Amino acid sequence: MGFLDVLRGRRDLKKPAPDRLFAMTTAYVTLEMSLSLKTTGRAAIVFQQLDTADFARLAREMQELIAATTQEAGTTVEARDDEFGYRWMVLVDPDFDDLVTGLSAIGGELELGGYGDRILAAVFPFEDAEKRHVYWIYNYKRGAFYPFVPASGDKQRDNTRELRLKAQMEGELPIEPELERWFPLWGAPV
Amino acid sequence: MPPPRKIGRDPGLTARMTLTLFLLGALYVVLIVALLAAGVGAVFVALIAGGLLLAQLFTSDKLALHAMGAREVSPQEAPELHAMVERLCVQADLPKPRVAVAQTAMPNAFALGRSPKSATVCATTGIMELLSPAELEGVMAHELSHVQNRDVLVMTIASFFATVAAYIVQFGFFFGGGDGDDDNAGFLVLLLVSLAVYALSFFLLQALSRYREFSADRGAGVITGRPSALSSALMKIAGTMDRIPERDMRAASELSAFYIFPPKVKSVLGSLFSTHPPLEKRIEKLSQLESQLQGRLTQA
Repeated sequence: MGFLDVLRGRRDLKKPAPDRLFAMTTAYVTLEMSLSLKTTGRAAIVFQQLDTADFARLAREMQELIAATTQEAGTTVEARDDEFGYRWMVLVDPDFDDLVTGLSAIGGELELGGYGDRILAAVFPFEDAEKRHVYWIYNYKRGAFYPFVPASGDKQRDNTRELRLKAQMEGELPIEPELERWFPLWGAPV
Repeated sequence: MPPPRKIGRDPGLTARMTLTLFLLGALYVVLIVALLAAGVGAVFVALIAGGLLLAQLFTSDKLALHAMGAREVSPQEAPELHAMVERLCVQADLPKPRVAVAQTAMPNAFALGRSPKSATVCATTGIMELLSPAELEGVMAHELSHVQNRDVLVMTIASFFATVAAYIVQFGFFFGGGDGDDDNAGFLVLLLVSLAVYALSFFLLQALSRYREFSADRGAGVITGRPSALSSALMKIAGTMDRIPERDMRAASELSAFYIFPPKVKSVLGSLFSTHPPLEKRIEKLSQLESQLQGRLTQA
């Protein structure tokens, strides 16, 4: 935002950054081989729902379209709404590449419909050898990934592990440099 | 069919705000000229003014939080509020501000801090009980818009010289200009100029504050995509503001610019004196935005 925009109090939503979602496809090799983080076979994209007629229509059409196109790859899609009024499209597929492709297709549909600025994030859950969950979150506005590792205890994060993951994956993934933007997503339905 | 990528702007609002800023700037030039003409050293003026401005920018948020009886809360203490603010921040592309809660039944919310990185958003326990989640989201988005527009910084700088003028006026009344003969006339002129600057800037600042309020309402509607939720929140807050007595409102008056609702809703002495636009106007603007949102399909 420029200086003049600040003075004039202008407001537009930031458009999604250039899509770097597919960086996850190649990074998964390292995640699996070197860090023994395995996909849980699920991934999700979360976006804001608008109470407008054409948005409702778009969401319905998108869901049908995605269901049809991902069926060939054996991916199933389900829609969930969380308590904050955001819509989660959860994909289930044992093949990781198909998950990334599916998420990208949904993002593309939303953008085509003119609602790309309503997408918040894509969420990739992984499991380590001890069956603990580790999330990689992709922020669409920033075009960057960051790790999110819930720790035991109420709404606690394992910051040590998150920072280690950042160091381990820096070469492979575009990582969000500002730590204040590593927003957690508690209770993600994936 | 590429739909319109932007929710319509409000060029009239931008124009009015720019004009107000310009007039305020012109007024301050007059004050500076008067100060220099009265024989006050230029370096001295610049040093004192700069020092005061910095002090105000760096300490005011902590003082204000303290004055409101607000306390920063951790994600464990207020998980819903934190999660709500986090999602809005992703949507608005802002770093996460500190989140504070004030223990008071008065339904209100405000934003503090000179930059998005040092910002704090605060809600009262009253507002969290009163509003539905969607309405509270609208209110928090309004506060985050203030953060994004850097309204604390803009208003602090804009009102700074008005404060200086006010000091000069007070000083003049207390000391009656001293005892030098030559200085006396000069000082009297300075006193009069300061008085005029103070009076005029007061009205300009109130107008500016109202425009920033409209901007923040609009920003909130764009961020949440639900302008109507903010409308209904404003109406709910207005309903209770009249009934609940003003108990805990000891904060300095310039702070009131960043409340979602001004602490005093008086039978107005003319809207000129108000830091916030009247409720009907705000709701009217929000419903215009709502129709723009709803009309995206037909526009395309």
